[in-house]
Amino acid sequence: MTEQILSALKKCGIEDYQITITKVESAELFFIKKELDMQRSKNVRKADVSIFRVFEEGENRFRGVASVKVQENQTQQELEKCFSDAFYAASFVKNKYYDLYAGKKWGMTEVESLLSDKTLSEIAGGFAQALFAEDVNEEVFLNSAEVFAYRYTTHILSSQGVDVEYRKTYVKGEFVVQCIDGQDVETYQDFMYNDWNVDALREKVRSTMELTKARAKAKTAPTAGEYRLILSGGYVDELFSYYVSRASSSTIYPKYSSFSVGCDVQGEEVLKDRVNLTLTTTVPFSNEGIPMKELEMVKNGKLQVIHGGNRFAQYLGIEPTGFFDGCRVGAGEVSLAEMKSQPYLEVVNFSDFQMDSFTGHFGGEIRLAFLYDGEKVVPVTGGSVNGNIFEAQKNFVFSKELQVEKNFEGPKAVAMDKVSVAGI
Amino acid sequence: MKVEQSEYLRGIKPVLVNLRDRLLEEFPYASLLAQDSMAKNYSVSKTSTGIQMNGMLSGRGFVAKVYDGTSYAEYSFNELSEEKIDEIVTEIRTKLIPMSAHLPEGVKKSAYAMLADDPLVFSDSTEYEIDPKEYGDEKIIAQLTKFSEAGRAYSDKVLDCNAFASYQKCSKLFLSKNRDMEQNILWMCGGVVVMATRGEEVKESYKGFSVLGGAEILEKIGKKVEEIAQTALDLLESEPIVPGEYECICEPGVTGMIAHEAFGHGVEMDMFVKDRALAKQYVGRQVASELVNMHDGAAAAKEVASYFFDDEGMLARDTLVIDHGILKAGISDAQSAMHLGTVPTGNGRRENYERKAYTRMTNTYFEAGSNTVEEMIASIPYGFLLQNASSGMEDPKNWGIQCMVDVAREIKDGKLTGKIYSPIVLTGYVPDLLKSISMLSDTVELGGSGFCGKGYKEWVKVSDGGPYIKAKIRLG
Repeated sequence: MTEQILSALKKCGIEDYQITITKVESAELFFIKKELDMQRSKNVRKADVSIFRVFEEGENRFRGVASVKVQENQTQQELEKCFSDAFYAASFVKNKYYDLYAGKKWGMTEVESLLSDKTLSEIAGGFAQALFAEDVNEEVFLNSAEVFAYRYTTHILSSQGVDVEYRKTYVKGEFVVQCIDGQDVETYQDFMYNDWNVDALREKVRSTMELTKARAKAKTAPTAGEYRLILSGGYVDELFSYYVSRASSSTIYPKYSSFSVGCDVQGEEVLKDRVNLTLTTTVPFSNEGIPMKELEMVKNGKLQVIHGGNRFAQYLGIEPTGFFDGCRVGAGEVSLAEMKSQPYLEVVNFSDFQMDSFTGHFGGEIRLAFLYDGEKVVPVTGGSVNGNIFEAQKNFVFSKELQVEKNFEGPKAVAMDKVSVAGI
Repeated sequence: MKVEQSEYLRGIKPVLVNLRDRLLEEFPYASLLAQDSMAKNYSVSKTSTGIQMNGMLSGRGFVAKVYDGTSYAEYSFNELSEEKIDEIVTEIRTKLIPMSAHLPEGVKKSAYAMLADDPLVFSDSTEYEIDPKEYGDEKIIAQLTKFSEAGRAYSDKVLDCNAFASYQKCSKLFLSKNRDMEQNILWMCGGVVVMATRGEEVKESYKGFSVLGGAEILEKIGKKVEEIAQTALDLLESEPIVPGEYECICEPGVTGMIAHEAFGHGVEMDMFVKDRALAKQYVGRQVASELVNMHDGAAAAKEVASYFFDDEGMLARDTLVIDHGILKAGISDAQSAMHLGTVPTGNGRRENYERKAYTRMTNTYFEAGSNTVEEMIASIPYGFLLQNASSGMEDPKNWGIQCMVDVAREIKDGKLTGKIYSPIVLTGYVPDLLKSISMLSDTVELGGSGFCGKGYKEWVKVSDGGPYIKAKIRLG
């Protein structure tokens, strides 16, 4: 495929390009209750070719780009037509000129883990075993589950010398726990592991069953008003996505974000904990072939670096860092027990939690929360959180305890004052 | 004009027929779905112009579905030639089928009957006015640039205006022992997002447009740019709402979100199979006001989710889901229908050939009523006109509503006051909301500029809509 693409590019007279060839294999299992409803596998190979063109209009110099998805079974003639059309189309794409990222040849990199040497069927089967290991009760059980084991082989090469290749194996999926003890309720969870973390999945199923049992006992929504809100689990990760998004060169350059190196990301008035955030990655190279390494983004609330790909980095006159797929956030000094010693509303399950990095709005419908009025803890369900991070970040309190959730590592819980909740 | 057939699928069909026949030598049922799809995205903003083929929607590939006498298995692939047939059959026999050999303790394979395979030969295409491919990248980008510039010029408070468009031309071929079906579909959609700023806060106003057709949609987008920009400026002056239950008028986009997110997901019958949908217990019972009739179906409307047959070779239908407030029927894929002993409704859809088919909505909407919008607003002493649906999430298990809109325009004494509240979260119990519907306007509008996920994945193109509706809704 590579030779065919290179030959077509040459025939079309295209000098600037980036080719990304991806081979994806999968083993997929779909369960309903204690039955395997469907089994699937996949073996596909695809290429994404970006075609660049430099042109000028008056005193302005541009670099246009158009991308083509190359399919298996495309003839040489079809490829050449696609590439010449894309080369023409790139001449209407008036993006300010930038140099393409110049890289070098690296050998094949295996993203090492215990998954690397196993077959995809073994991986899917192993994680299915972990899923069902805790499914031993009649009142609370796995309603349904899906397990996907993937092996990606990615090869990136460009006209500017990038030639990198890596292989990564991972497993992801989702499950629904149902509880029929009292009310008939359910909890959805997803998961993703880059290593043989079967014990972590088993623990996730167990804790989801506990949470679902609690939800079965929750009958009413909290009353409408302002609460000291505690977010935990995956919602903590989502909350911090605001800072990652606002520190990206692609949002700073067009002035969607006013962040600059050295700025206080939580604003000038920070009454409690300050953010410490390091960007992390699970792949050795970015989608442009940039070697990836961890990056300390925020230290004691101050932005250390702007992150992002090659183009906007050049516009801003900074080094490109590539795109990160995870982050690690520093813990606080308060234990969960201390955090929960005052009245709070801890939401542990939303139907869909949203963090809008432009408006700063965060919230969602409450599926399960625990309300502590200073005397007793009551499970509640219904109503919705309607907060804004511009206010909330002034008084963040991070838990001392940490969690590892997909590609996030950070506090198990975040508390914030006076968040609006629509309830009964 | 009719969308043309795929030359690639026509050329590869003899190989597919041979592969099908080889699979039928080993399995009592085998089908093949072949896809040849090309989709492009265009966007223009202050700092970026983009022309990309859409990776999720573009592709040539195949999925083989086989029945081993007990259950079903699928293999997705995109390399196919006469020489590859043996390799594919061997892969299915030696790797795919044995995957179920080592199931967790206490877990067994589902036992299904063989899918019905009544003889059917079919070929058809949708229609369009302007082929976006012939219209060309240059003209599409020029149009979007004009829209983006108009949005940015509207006010110095406008930070940016992103104008975008996309289209998909998709041909599919379904082959089983007795079925030989082909369809060719073209849709195009687009929209404008205007961002306005005040200090750190950025407010967005969005409007999408869609058509089962081609580049004729661009003209509609251009006419609305200034209105969208004005809404973004209005949002800068918006306030948070005081939570509570209010009388509301929902514009068709918000009506559609309620039809789709709040109710539609609950009648996807693969959720009945899993006992994950409350609606299963309500078939034949009242779930909405007697004024409400609701449809779903690829044949129920001509919009972006229209097709002639689904990804399991079942013909498209128009399903009357709610008939005068009574829940009549759900929608289903073939396997779920077999499980439940019902008739498949042509709602088995895949994100693409690489993914499994699930029960999915298509074009989902409420029928029109008999009121005018003016009458509806005039009937409200204090309430809100809800506009700009922004997101929603299903809760089939409990019929809880989570929908968000960006704009709530205050109504006082039957008149709009000009005051805006934002953002707004709609919550409550779905049947309560649907039973409170007391007025519906006389015109239905459908839109399908976005995608629908099953949970958080499996994106497919859908449309939804209806008339303006008046209902009591809890806002926060």
